[in-house]
This record gives sequence, structure tokens and C-alpha cells, in this order.
Amino acid sequence: MINLDLPVVQFTREQEEFRQEVREFLAEEKKKGTFETKCDSWLSGDSPEFSKKLGEKGWIGMTWPKKYGGGERNALDRYILTEELLAAGAPVSAHWFADRQSGPLLLKFGTEEQKEYFLPRIARGDTYFAIGLSEPNSGSDLASLSIRAERTDGGWILNGSKIWSSGAHIAHYMIVLCRTSKLDPNNRHAGLSQFIADLKAPGVTIRPIKFLTGEHHFNEVFFDNVFIPDNRVIGEIGNGWKQGMTELAYERSGPERILSTFPLLEELIRILRENGDYRGMQEAVELLPQLWSMRNMSIGVAKYLDDGVDVNIIAALVKDMGTIFEKNIAEKARLIISRHPSVLSTDIYERFMAQSILHGPGFTLRGGTTEILRGIVAKGVVAG
Amino acid sequence: MSEMLEIILDTTGRMFKDYSTQELLESAEQGEWAEELWQVLAESGILHVGIAEELDGAGGDHIDAYNILRLAGKYAVPLPIAETLIAQWLLAEQGVKPSTVPLSISFENEQEFMIDDLGDRFIVNGKAVYVPWARHAKQLLTLGKLNNESVMVLLPLDKAIIEQGANLASEPRDTVIFENFEITALSCFPVNKNEMVNRVYEMGALARSAKMAGAMEQILELTVFYTNERKQFGRPLHRFQAIQHHLSALTGETVASLAALNFAIHENSTKEIALTKMKLSGAAGKIAEISHQVHGAIGVTHEHTLHHYTRRLWSWRDEFGNERYWGSKLADHLMKNNGETLWEFISAGREANLVYGGEK
Ligand SMILES: Cc1cc2nc3c(=O)[nH]c(=O)nc-3n(C[C@H](O)[C@H](O)[C@H](O)COP(=O)(O)OP(=O)(O)OC[C@H]3O[C@@H](n4cnc5c(N)ncnc54)[C@H](O)[C@@H]3O)c2cc1C
Repeated sequence: MINLDLPVVQFTREQEEFRQEVREFLAEEKKKGTFETKCDSWLSGDSPEFSKKLGEKGWIGMTWPKKYGGGERNALDRYILTEELLAAGAPVSAHWFADRQSGPLLLKFGTEEQKEYFLPRIARGDTYFAIGLSEPNSGSDLASLSIRAERTDGGWILNGSKIWSSGAHIAHYMIVLCRTSKLDPNNRHAGLSQFIADLKAPGVTIRPIKFLTGEHHFNEVFFDNVFIPDNRVIGEIGNGWKQGMTELAYERSGPERILSTFPLLEELIRILRENGDYRGMQEAVELLPQLWSMRNMSIGVAKYLDDGVDVNIIAALVKDMGTIFEKNIAEKARLIISRHPSVLSTDIYERFMAQSILHGPGFTLRGGTTEILRGIVAKGVVAG
Repeated sequence: MSEMLEIILDTTGRMFKDYSTQELLESAEQGEWAEELWQVLAESGILHVGIAEELDGAGGDHIDAYNILRLAGKYAVPLPIAETLIAQWLLAEQGVKPSTVPLSISFENEQEFMIDDLGDRFIVNGKAVYVPWARHAKQLLTLGKLNNESVMVLLPLDKAIIEQGANLASEPRDTVIFENFEITALSCFPVNKNEMVNRVYEMGALARSAKMAGAMEQILELTVFYTNERKQFGRPLHRFQAIQHHLSALTGETVASLAALNFAIHENSTKEIALTKMKLSGAAGKIAEISHQVHGAIGVTHEHTLHHYTRRLWSWRDEFGNERYWGSKLADHLMKNNGETLWEFISAGREANLVYGGEK
């Protein structure tokens, strides 16, 4: 049987103080009008100014070595910061992927030159990355991807396209997973490599794709004979699949898989309290055991990841259950306090409700669909 | 279904399909009024269905009308057909002949317009929120207070202050304000306010249920089509068992919703309407969720048509009472009627209607 127990994490006094510091900062910024709370702000709240502010505080790449602009803090400090940002619905999407994924990937597999060049820029909050995995014909079946690179003098020539690239229109770079040798039907994961593509390079075209609300969050990115110099290859040629997979547990188990709609829940509780609505409150608190246990799981995974323990299966579970919980908040709230949700409303409860419902479909798709995650979990427990 | 009804629905369905295109839906979302389609509807007599021919109506009954609304939902027709029909029916009861201008309705317990009768003119003051299509409608049928008596009043909207709002599908849901609005002639009809609100909620709930049912049919068609077309791992999606479970749940919710709706359309009593609106509002969320899950990322794009229907389900499920609203009507009834067993209640015919809230 796989290990079902996760470590119990108790935050230290310093960590609790740090949490207070983050809270005070966010309250201050909100008061100054720097940002407005939003649901799903890690995908739809981009504010380069806010990202730079976090960079100045040392709150991007905070676990990385100091020589690369990091703060050498531990993973739990970062966890605290992240969940505070999400609970406040702060606009963190600009630097989100660079901080969560691209930076750590470079730290693990990048060359010294890449680390020295990219990490400090990311940590300052002025260089953003997009994730280049999905393609029009390769979603869940990622290994079928067809974008390919051919060897040339001093580098590679990239041709093909990526789709659903969140924030690519404000990002500077994209980490592209592509084919560097012919597809081997018996080993589809072989022959894939990871490149850092400069999104301003000649041959790159970014086409916006409107989200169902009409907003612009994701894009289709076309690569037409784009030159990738050798020094922008990440890790080893042909090892792209393995390298990419090591980051999945980070991607799937973070607080953003639980808290995307938290501002709505916070507002619901506030209104119920204000109205002295005890019955409504009793219904609302039924959400809390889920929230609390999911959060404990997520923190446990964060601790294990920091200790180097393999937790892919539990990470998949956090994402599956956490994203369903995120959707559930709106479904429950609408029956406890019934109002008409609208993105145009001046009432924040109605607005948060609209954001939660309209963004909801994406929660259980992005980062691996529920169906695919359940396959991973089932296979994992059966294999033991 | 009568043969006549079948013919009407067949033509109407084709008309909606031809006119209510993706372009039309998008321009409606940008605030444009689909005048051409409205004119076609006016000429076809659809706006007068359910009004006796003696009153210049188109004849037909409410069963026809609600089936037409189901089609309007199936093609997401961006026009206030339901609101106009309901307003015309209420006016016809007062002997008013129908017109073909777009109408809106607003009947809420906490909301009424104050009307002062100055002899040679009236002064109107008040506000109504979340009024469907107000910015495009010519008149609003609503509640007012005249000489301390509740009235149903037909107010012209061209001089009203309109604050634009929208539901999740970007259908207009505006705030209508009258500030010392002067008018020389007004159509007012004395009514019992509570009774009126309950009646209009029933009509509205049935209309929204009919539209939701239509949207559900469309969503099921789109989803089945997509699971054939989209391939991953070398197979069409419908070959995966997880997707088969989704398709089965989607079909089940749709069929159960249609069964509820058809029954309510025929019985047209509070009990059936309450149960139907609860059933469909509950199914709406599930259907939207499953269909999006099966469509993957393409389904959350503006270019794809799916969201025109899912966003309407997410909106309509809360309009004219959601599950909680109608549930409390059922709860009231069950709490009050001590002699009746649950089984007697469930199995009773139409004459055994809901008794609720001491309003009757
Ligand atoms: C808001 C949002 C942001 C995103 N951002 C990014 C990004 O920045 N970068 C990026 O690369 N990608 C991004 N994605 C893409 C995301 O990773 C894909 O949507 C996801 O991998 C699913 O792929 P698909 O949409 O093509 O659906 P498909 O793979 O076509 O799946 C359709 C349905 O079939 C199911 N299915 C597929 N295969 C199986 C199977 N074997 N068994 C059972 N069920 C199956 C799926 O679970 C789903 O329900 C984003 C998506 C969304 C919605």
C-alpha cells in the first residue's frame, strides 16, 4: 500500500509572525487601492506593479539560493505566503508560473548561466514565464504532442504551436516541451526536450483566445522557424518528459487548488455573521471540514516535497478533491444567500459568485483533468 | 402533443435555428437588439400565443406557449419572449388587447412604484431591480400603489432611468428608476399584491424551466457530438469509461428534467411548478459542470457555442425562485397540512394544490 499518512505540520512562532507580516502588507495595499480582491486571481489577476512589489519584499523565489536572488527561506514559509495571497484574492498571475514552476525547474536542471540570468529577474518580479505544454490535438494525451525542433548550427529551429498558454501575452518566455527526435510509438515519452523560448523572438506569434467571459487569459502561440540557441536548452536533450514530470507534484498540490474561490466563502461568512443568520451559518460551516482537511493534506505534501519524498499520488488527490471543493463553494453559497450573480454587480458577493461560477469549469481541467488524475490515483494505489 | 402543435413547433424550431446564430448571440451580448428576429416573431403570431382569438390573440394554449419557450431555450434566442407573453396574458385577463412591442415584467413583494393621482396627471416614483430586458422593452408591467391600493400598472419605459445590469449570460437585467415621472394616462388594475407575485413567479418559473430544458437538450447534443469528434490517446472520447459515465449522467438529468417539465406544463399547478423548478435548477448546475468537463479547454472559450447555453443555465436556475425558494413553498405546505401523508401529497392529482404561507 502507498503511504497514506502525511506529516503533521505545526508552524513555528517565526512562521506565524511571518504570516502576520504578509497579512498586514496585504491589508495595507488593499487600503491604498493597489488591488481589488478577486476570485481565481492566480489565473486572472495580472498586475506587473504588484508583482514587482512582491519582488521587492523578497517574496518571489523566496526559497531559492541568495546568489540567484532568492531568500533561502523554507518551503513552508512560501506556503504561508502563497495561501495568504490567495485568501486575499491578490493579483499574482503575472509572476505565478515563473515562481511556482519555471524557476524551480531551472534551479534543478538549468545551467549556471541560465540560473544566473533568469532567476534574479524572476525574483525581482519583472520577468514572467508561460507554460508550453498543451497543443490543439494534445491535451490529456500530452505525449502525443507534435511541435518539433530540428538541429541547426548552434541551436535548434522550432516549428509548431502551443495552446491555452495562460498569460503568454504578458510573459517574456515560455518553457516549451517539444519533440527533438521522431515519435517512437513504443516509447512516446522519449525524444522530448524542454526549451526556453523568447516570446519576443522573430517567428513567434501570439494569438489571444477569449475565455467564455470574453476576457483574455490564455493564448495560442505559434512558432515559425524560431531559433533556439543551445544555451536555452533545459537539462538534457531527450529528457524533457522526465524533467517536466518532476514539477507536477508542485503544480498539483499547492493552495491554489483549494483557494481559488475562497474570497466568496469569506464574504458569505461575513454576511451571515452580519445578519445573525444562524441557520445559514450552520449550512455554510459544512464546507469547513473539507477546506480544513484539504489544507492539511496540501501542507503535508509541501513538507514531504521539501524533504524530497515522492508524493505524486497524494498531490493528484489534492488537485482532484481541492478543485471540486472550489466549485462547491459557489454551489452551496447560492442556496444559502440567494442573489443574482453578475460580473457587473457593485455588490462584491454577487461579483465573487459570478467569478467563481464562470471560472469554475477551468478548475477541474487545467493542470490535469479530474478524469486523468483519478486514473493516476487508482493506478498508484493498485500498484502499491 | 396535438398535430397542430407539432407543426407549430417544427416551423418555430427551424426559424429559431436559422435566426439565432452565433453572430446574433454575440451581437446581442454586445447590447444590440435583434429587431429583425423580433419582427419575424411578431408576424408569426408567436407573441400572441395563449391569448384568445376574440381578443385578437393567436389562439393556442399555454401548453403551446411553453413548448415554444423550450425551443427558445434550445437556440438561446436573445429576446424577451417569455416576459412579453406573460405580460400579454396578464393584460388579456384585464381585457387589454395584445400588441407586438417588447414588454418586461417585474413583480416582487418588496418592490412597488408609488403613483400619485393629481386629477389631470399621475406622478410615478420608485425603482425595480433586475428587470429583464428593460433597456429594450417598451413597457414594464409591474406593481404599484395608487391611493393606498395595490395595482398592476403598465409603465412606459422610454422616460425611465435605466441602469444597465446583466446576468451571467450577459442578458440584460437592468434597474428601472422613475423619479417624479409625469404621465397623463396610465393603465392600472386593482390586484391582490401577494397573489399577483405568487402567480407571476409561477408563470416565470415555468417559463424559465421550459427554457432551461431546451438549453439542456442543446447541451446534450453538443456534448455527444464532441465525444465522437475529439480524439485523445488514439480514440474518440466516448470510448473512455469516465466519459461514458458523464454522458449517462448528462442524459439522465436531461430526461428527468424534461419529464418534470412536460408534466408541469400540462398540470400547471403550484405543486408541479415548484417541483419542476427545483428539479431543473438543480440539474442545471450538474449539466453545466459535466458538459464543460467533457469539452475540456475548448469549451471554456468564447468561440465555442457551449457557454451560450451553460451561462444561461447558471442564470436561469436562480431566476423566478431557485431550489431554496420553491423548497420553502413545499416545506410550508408539508408543515401545515397535518392530515396529509407524504404519499398522499406526492400521488395527488391536480386539484390537490399547494397551500402555503397563509396567503390564501
Ligand atoms: C483555464 C485553463 C488554463 C490553462 N492553462 C494552460 C497553460 O498555461 N499551459 C498549457 O500548456 N495548458 C494549459 N491549459 C490546458 C490544460 O492543461 C488542458 O485543458 C488539459 O490538459 C485537458 O486537455 P484538453 O482541454 O485538450 O481536453 P481533452 O484531453 O480533450 O479531454 C476532454 C475530456 O476527456 C477526458 N479524457 C481525456 N482522455 C481521457 C482518458 N484517457 N480517460 C478518461 N477521460 C479522458 C478529459 O478528462 C476531459 O474530460 C489550460 C486549461 C484551462 C482550462
